[in-house]
Amino acid sequence: MIRSGIIFSWCLLLTAFAASAEDADIRQDRAFFENRIRPVLVAHCYECHSEASAEVGGRLLLDSRSGMLSGGEAGPVLVPGKPDDSLILLALKHDGIEMPPDRRLSDAVVRDFETWIGRGAFDPRTDPAPHAGDAATSETDKPDAAELWSLQPVTVPEVPPVQDDQWATDPIDRFVLAKLEAESLRPGPDAEDAILVRRLFFDLIGLPPTVDELEAWSPRIQQNRTEGITALVDDLLSRPQFGEHWGRHWLDVARYAESNGNDGLGRNPTFPHAWRYRDYVIAAFNSDMAYDQFLREQLAGDLLPAETPQDRDRQLVATGLLAMTAKPAKAMNNNFDMDVVADQIDVVGRGVMGLSVACARCHDHKFDPVPTRDYYALAGIFASTETMWGVAGHEGLTAPPTDLHVLKATEGIKPPDNFVETVVLTESDTGKPKKIPKSRWPTGAALAMGVRDKKEATDLRIHVKGEPTKTGDPVPRGFLSAIAVTDAPVAAPDATGSGRLQLAMWLTKAEHPLTARVMVNRIWMHLFGEGLVRTPDDFGVYGDRPTHPELLDHLASRFVQNGWSVKSMIRAIALSRTYQISSCITDPEQNVAADSRLLQTHQRRRLDAEQFRDAVLAVCGDLDLQPARGSIIQHRDILVNLAGNLHQPSRHRSLYLCYLRNSPPPELAAFDLPDFAAVQSQRTQSVIPAQALFLFNSSLMQEQSKQLAEIIQADQSDPRTAIRLVWREVLQRNPTDQEAQQAADFLNSTSDDRTELERWAGLCQALLASNEFRYID
Amino acid sequence: MYSRRRLLQTTSCGFGYLALQSLCSGESGSGMHPVPAVTARAKQVIFLCMSGGPAQMDTFDHKPQTGKKPHPGSVYRFRPHGDSGLMISELMPETARHADRLCVINGMHADTGIHAQSFLQLHTGDRLRPRPSLGSWISYGLGTENRNLPGFISLNTSKSSIYSSGFLPSIHTGTPIGVNGENMSTATISNVTGGEASLDFQRKQLDLIQSLNHRHLQARPDDGRLESVIQSMELGFRMQSQAPGLLDLSNETQATLDRYQVGQQKPGVGTCKDTDFGRQCLLARRFVEAGVRFVEVNHGSWDQHKNHRRDLEANCDATDAPIAALLDDLHQRGLLDETLVIWGGEFGRPGLVPGDGKDETGHNSNGFTFWLCGGGTKGGYVHGRTSDTGDPRLCRRKVPLRSSRHDPAPDGTRRRTSDILARRQTPPTHPHRTRRRQSCS
Repeated sequence: MIRSGIIFSWCLLLTAFAASAEDADIRQDRAFFENRIRPVLVAHCYECHSEASAEVGGRLLLDSRSGMLSGGEAGPVLVPGKPDDSLILLALKHDGIEMPPDRRLSDAVVRDFETWIGRGAFDPRTDPAPHAGDAATSETDKPDAAELWSLQPVTVPEVPPVQDDQWATDPIDRFVLAKLEAESLRPGPDAEDAILVRRLFFDLIGLPPTVDELEAWSPRIQQNRTEGITALVDDLLSRPQFGEHWGRHWLDVARYAESNGNDGLGRNPTFPHAWRYRDYVIAAFNSDMAYDQFLREQLAGDLLPAETPQDRDRQLVATGLLAMTAKPAKAMNNNFDMDVVADQIDVVGRGVMGLSVACARCHDHKFDPVPTRDYYALAGIFASTETMWGVAGHEGLTAPPTDLHVLKATEGIKPPDNFVETVVLTESDTGKPKKIPKSRWPTGAALAMGVRDKKEATDLRIHVKGEPTKTGDPVPRGFLSAIAVTDAPVAAPDATGSGRLQLAMWLTKAEHPLTARVMVNRIWMHLFGEGLVRTPDDFGVYGDRPTHPELLDHLASRFVQNGWSVKSMIRAIALSRTYQISSCITDPEQNVAADSRLLQTHQRRRLDAEQFRDAVLAVCGDLDLQPARGSIIQHRDILVNLAGNLHQPSRHRSLYLCYLRNSPPPELAAFDLPDFAAVQSQRTQSVIPAQALFLFNSSLMQEQSKQLAEIIQADQSDPRTAIRLVWREVLQRNPTDQEAQQAADFLNSTSDDRTELERWAGLCQALLASNEFRYID
Repeated sequence: MYSRRRLLQTTSCGFGYLALQSLCSGESGSGMHPVPAVTARAKQVIFLCMSGGPAQMDTFDHKPQTGKKPHPGSVYRFRPHGDSGLMISELMPETARHADRLCVINGMHADTGIHAQSFLQLHTGDRLRPRPSLGSWISYGLGTENRNLPGFISLNTSKSSIYSSGFLPSIHTGTPIGVNGENMSTATISNVTGGEASLDFQRKQLDLIQSLNHRHLQARPDDGRLESVIQSMELGFRMQSQAPGLLDLSNETQATLDRYQVGQQKPGVGTCKDTDFGRQCLLARRFVEAGVRFVEVNHGSWDQHKNHRRDLEANCDATDAPIAALLDDLHQRGLLDETLVIWGGEFGRPGLVPGDGKDETGHNSNGFTFWLCGGGTKGGYVHGRTSDTGDPRLCRRKVPLRSSRHDPAPDGTRRRTSDILARRQTPPTHPHRTRRRQSCS
């Protein structure tokens, strides 16, 4: 109310300035409106019917002239000159509709409205610049883009001086140490060699070290810590498992999935060619493709020049990023096209820039400097782009079928000779079996999801409140106005193309304040458990502030300077002293920081779903390190919901399992997989009983522990040695005497009802289920 | 900086922490409520979720013809039932036996007619962003009454956002039974059985695991998550002792199975899918009896566009008797007083015009119907009204899925129930921010 009052008097003031130029009639109308009408609207209607309302009643806005004229769900509420036809008057009279709902306003007020409408309903209020509320709101309440930290240019901060000159090995360490010293704290001790080796294995390649590896690397590190760790890090970075592990991180950002997900009507069509994008991402990380190029290929690979036909294919596959949308059903949804565009904007917004742009679809972003205008500038780019997801399970009500990229230099994969589609599609309305339409491509053709420019590019009009039926001004295609990449301006989208290429160029300019910051923050997060900005997908006003802003800029500028090399960035961080700190402080003398953000200790993390399954297979001797080829659904354009459980057991690494939305691999599902419907770069770490049940009873745990028990038994050693062997295989260390005794007791106490193999398997399973195995120190 | 544990201990007078503690320890936290204005009687909830948009005018919102010209309305026969004379359509003959126990709410409205968004809004209050589900709130607020079972179970469920605990502690996440079209005659809690070993063997195994975990924790005493793993391992183990028994219906009499029509579902007709709704309802009763706070059962799809009559009849046929059997049993066992049963979907449908031969309907998110039963609600009562034609544009009174300033509830009882369903759930942080690390710590 107080704010409304301020707005009101501010408007009156404006009114006074303007009034002198007007003739007497208008002046009279204006005075009538300001004295009799506006106060009533403000006092009794704005609470529910204004842009500032928490929830707009009946989609009706009474805080602008156009809002009243266009009306809400019940149609126009105001017909100037015709009080009897004006719904608002009926409502005020409580005739059929009752507004305000709590009590009828006085007859005097009703008469005022009648007079006002009869005189033509003069209304000086202009549209709030596209629906942002009154100007006063935007000036006083809206955070200034100029102030948002993440939009400031990336600086190259000076490395701060520190008291302890011996500790730091990299400038990174000095930034961290300076902050600790400012709090009169010392960094925690270095992690023990074995713990560090295990940490590096999981963080860089997502797998545990074998006992042999551990025993080979630990002494080398002990002998010469710097040299040993450097050699280990370089070895791990060169392994193909590196790209698999770090590629999987990116696939979370890319909301990579092999099916559309429930379209809202229980239909979930497969994406049989999505796996090519997965393989593209893995290869990009393994070849250390520069991150700026990586982004350009994914956003505009189809528009980039290609030197070879192979490059061409790769770049087409890369655009799959934009086609992975979890689409709501097309049926009954006239917003369908704009829903796809919204997802693409979100991938660019939160996925690349860490900025949520999606809110601006319906209103100016309440907090971040993203006006609706900018949203439709970006939307124009994607609306001028053809998105190709394929045939959507041959179900038109889910999504219309589209073309796909045909990969000319890539060998196709023919289905096996005996391949028969077992999933029978049914007509959605009759339930009768549907004839599978003949594919428009030759059997086994190499195809890829992706995007390409439409024949004609068009600018979009603002969709008022996100509604396609209410359009405002057209907006030229473009980027975010709050981000000025001034040093080297990028060409604006031209008349012929969609503007995706220019968008990709704009995003990957060295001067772009967000792109590099967001990526180095995510790299940091995957190595430390938390980012320097703890909301890795939100660098906006309501996101967290960086704990070490100078360090973040140091990393971002270093990243760009090193040619956007992800491997170099990971290497630098992994070799820093900071990364090597222990996860607990055992020295009772040392002061312990209350705030983990100071990075005094390393953060303990649970293995994520893929790491856990991979680790179980690895220590039980069953992991196949060869990349899996293709996908189990690569020949199947079907609705997954009708297919039951398609998942097949596999010995390959987890990221090669079939990532169907709403039907995730059962071996991973218990451990906080995202739903892959939207950008999510950080996994949650829930603790729920379903995980315990998985550890007790899942076939993975049962089979793998039995497998390990067989290996142990085959060794034919005495029980004591065998127990030692179990510990070494699973936990890569020897058991303590107490542990060995407990294990022996367990084996003895269960001899009544279980065979020897089963008892040993039970022991192996207990270790695999233990926190020591499932957490990285 | 507050740790999560500290935050839970201090916010809302530590209410969250108490609820959490009680979930972990197995005691009911219900004694810790601030005194409400009206004594709440509902202790648990069964939500009969009819996904797809059930046609209210052909089931519970009677719309007789009023003028000379035929207008959209009910195309099935309605007649008064019970002492209250509640008008219920011929498609729900069994449910109609409970007319005097039903509190029918007409004129519900949702923000959108898009299924997925409205369905999410129905469950979480927000149509776009992930938020805690209704069942998670109930579990969070009331704690558990059975230390061997989760507080929130969702049967025949769909995406995880529907039963997610959002920013609440993850122990309040719904436990799904049957996801995304799984066969509901066999669906179970994942991995609740499957081990070949006896519980005795597993207990010894768990003791070994827990002793390893305790020693591991001793060297890392600052880590609350490790502690909550130890607790959730216990709950998981205990679930094995009780949940399989509850899921096994072999100790029910054939007469009961028949009343619920367990396994008798005819093959799906059009949009009406075989969801073995009878088994779902019977399981719901068994879970509620065992002390689960919130059980959601699902049937669909009620989105019968083209073959409105045929598919609607099939949907009603599949759900009517099981629902009536559930209400019968709850009443007979004295559970209905403290069990709130909610029936409804994400929106409704516009009406057909009798006699014009058309058989196709769309969506109506502005004037649809829910009913409540038990849990202290007023039976044989109709609240809210839509226009004579049920025209969504002319709906005068609206009962939103969330609380509304426009529609103060006329009595405390209903206020409370609509609150349960509808309260705008105030998050501890800005709604656009998703909380991470939802552990029990």
